[in-house]
Amino acid sequence: MKRNVANRRFRNSLTSKYLLIIGIAMLFMPIIFPMASILYWFINDGIWQPSPSLNDKYPNGTVLEQMWHQEAKSLASAPPEQVDKRLQALKQEYPEMAMFWVDDTDQTRLMLPEQGKLPKKWTPAASIQFMKAAYNSDPFTVVAYIGDDEKLGKGFMVMELPRAYIRPKQILASDTTVYTVFVFIMSGLFILISWLFFARIRKRLIRLKEAMISPDLDSGIPRSVMMTKPDEIGQLEQGYNDMVAQLEQGRRRQLEEEELRKSLIANLSHDLRTPLTVIRGHLHAFDAESLSQQGKDSVARIETKITDLSELIDNLLSYSLLTSGRVELKREACDVLRLVKESAAAWYPIWEKEGIEADIDLQNEPLIWQIDALWFRRVLDNLFQNVVRHARSGCYIGIHTETREHDHEVCLLITDRGPGLSRASSSKGTGIGLAVVEMLTKEMGLNCTIVSSESGTAVKLTRSS
Amino acid sequence: MSAKLLYIEDEQEIGEWVSAFLKEKGYEVDWLKHGDQAIQTAEASQLAILDVMLPGLDGFTVGQRLKKAYPELPILMLSARTSIDDKLQGLEFADDYLTKPFHPEELAARIEVLLRRSCTAAQEVLSIKHLSVYEQENRIVNHETEEEIMLTGKQFQIFKYLLQHQGRVMTKEQIYESVWGETYLDGDKTLMVHIRYLREKIERDPASPEIIETVRGLGYRVKA
Repeated sequence: MKRNVANRRFRNSLTSKYLLIIGIAMLFMPIIFPMASILYWFINDGIWQPSPSLNDKYPNGTVLEQMWHQEAKSLASAPPEQVDKRLQALKQEYPEMAMFWVDDTDQTRLMLPEQGKLPKKWTPAASIQFMKAAYNSDPFTVVAYIGDDEKLGKGFMVMELPRAYIRPKQILASDTTVYTVFVFIMSGLFILISWLFFARIRKRLIRLKEAMISPDLDSGIPRSVMMTKPDEIGQLEQGYNDMVAQLEQGRRRQLEEEELRKSLIANLSHDLRTPLTVIRGHLHAFDAESLSQQGKDSVARIETKITDLSELIDNLLSYSLLTSGRVELKREACDVLRLVKESAAAWYPIWEKEGIEADIDLQNEPLIWQIDALWFRRVLDNLFQNVVRHARSGCYIGIHTETREHDHEVCLLITDRGPGLSRASSSKGTGIGLAVVEMLTKEMGLNCTIVSSESGTAVKLTRSS
Repeated sequence: MSAKLLYIEDEQEIGEWVSAFLKEKGYEVDWLKHGDQAIQTAEASQLAILDVMLPGLDGFTVGQRLKKAYPELPILMLSARTSIDDKLQGLEFADDYLTKPFHPEELAARIEVLLRRSCTAAQEVLSIKHLSVYEQENRIVNHETEEEIMLTGKQFQIFKYLLQHQGRVMTKEQIYESVWGETYLDGDKTLMVHIRYLREKIERDPASPEIIETVRGLGYRVKA
């Protein structure tokens, strides 16, 4: 059973095909040349002889001539009756031949068959004419003196055979031409077969490569391929398909994990915010009471802390989501300035309320960066939030674009005139908000440089080179 | 006239104080703990306030169903989910989105804006400074002089768009794309020209506009 499988596998394998082709190449010499000879004989014997059965009887003219002279010699002392008898016997043996003989008195004797055009009496002139006509023509004619000697004066005997019965001495093609053509054809065939063999392997490999480098647009995972044949490349395709399936499974698991984490964090956010909302509700109840100034201050302080805490929760959860490495940023070409304007427009009423003057001067042309719009908004929200929270005293926020001198790269500048980050961060923990900004900008391929001094903070965003 | 509000919130404590607070503000409140009865109850309401995380149907689904059944009903999402995609998902159908822990006064202010906006549609007249705007009839009257102000189609659309988002700064891109329905590439000049003509018609003094305010570098706003 196992052996069967192994056998079948070998029969189906490329190795076996390759070995077959190599084997044919090895057998080229001992088989092709004998095959060429056989072909040569087949052409000469088989196709150009009309009646192969007569071939043996009439091998060629020389043999017939010898035979006829032999017969004439054996009749040297025979009386005319015996000559007639022998010719009749010969006619029995060679029915295709015509024969006659002429005696010592120049009279035409037995004719087999009867031929009217022959003279009854052979004058020297008639003899010369006959010989002239018979020479090198059809039928093939042999004349022999009886007793095979002219001096005996016993007359002569003649045989005629149509040349068609005699194997032609001329052959169709010479040996070397047939050999060359045949060997040439066989070599060509061999080259063609091995080329086809290779070309098909190549085609299948290229198909596999194409499948590998053209991934599915949604998942980014290459598509699986159709199995072609159960040979080595087929096994490769099978292995490749298995790998793609595993990748897909891994990706699905990753997406599930991401989804799970997201919902976990959303729930966590919900659970943390609900008590905060309740606290705020109860705090609101104090407004109805008549409180001392100190009490009112406390309520206001608690209100601010609730807001701070809620933002902290936001950033903390974003941070943990991002550091988990399970969040995929969908980077697309976006007009950054458009996002900045929309975000600033949403913040504008808050700045107004806080007495922050907004100085916004952005270039007219769109600024296209490869970013994830949602996360970029988050970056802006955090930066704007920081200005409101920690740089309110500066009463200023500047949002500008600036073109760098050396490479004409456009950067986005967000400035304030607050007391600077070093003081703010130590006391109020802006750390996590900025950490989220830094992580997000890095993920989106942006550079975020923060320069902070006593007289203000400048955040500069550029594409990293 | 006290407006009737539909409020869906599963959290007992929050539900209690928000209902109490809104009643204090003079609204009638129907507080449900889940979304099953939302459609029936909403029929008599002028505004719906929805929590996102509800047992059973979540707030987004309930909100979408409400919007489908009553397209005119303003919906305010009130949620503890703060991620931006939640917010965007909510704003696809909701008119406003407020995150917990919210300040009660902010909630009251937003409810008021939403109600006023939907009431003008019902009353068909909106007063702003010296203007009375009849939105349905595409008509604006200066009620000081009793003169009717004639606006071109585009001018009226721009004004209407800003009125719909009263109190919010709208970027030039947002205005242009909403009114012209094309992507804003160099619509800048076109929009500026239209705003100038619009101001000449509606402002008392076009040189120092009171109604349409320019927010430098960003866009325009009609103050609430």
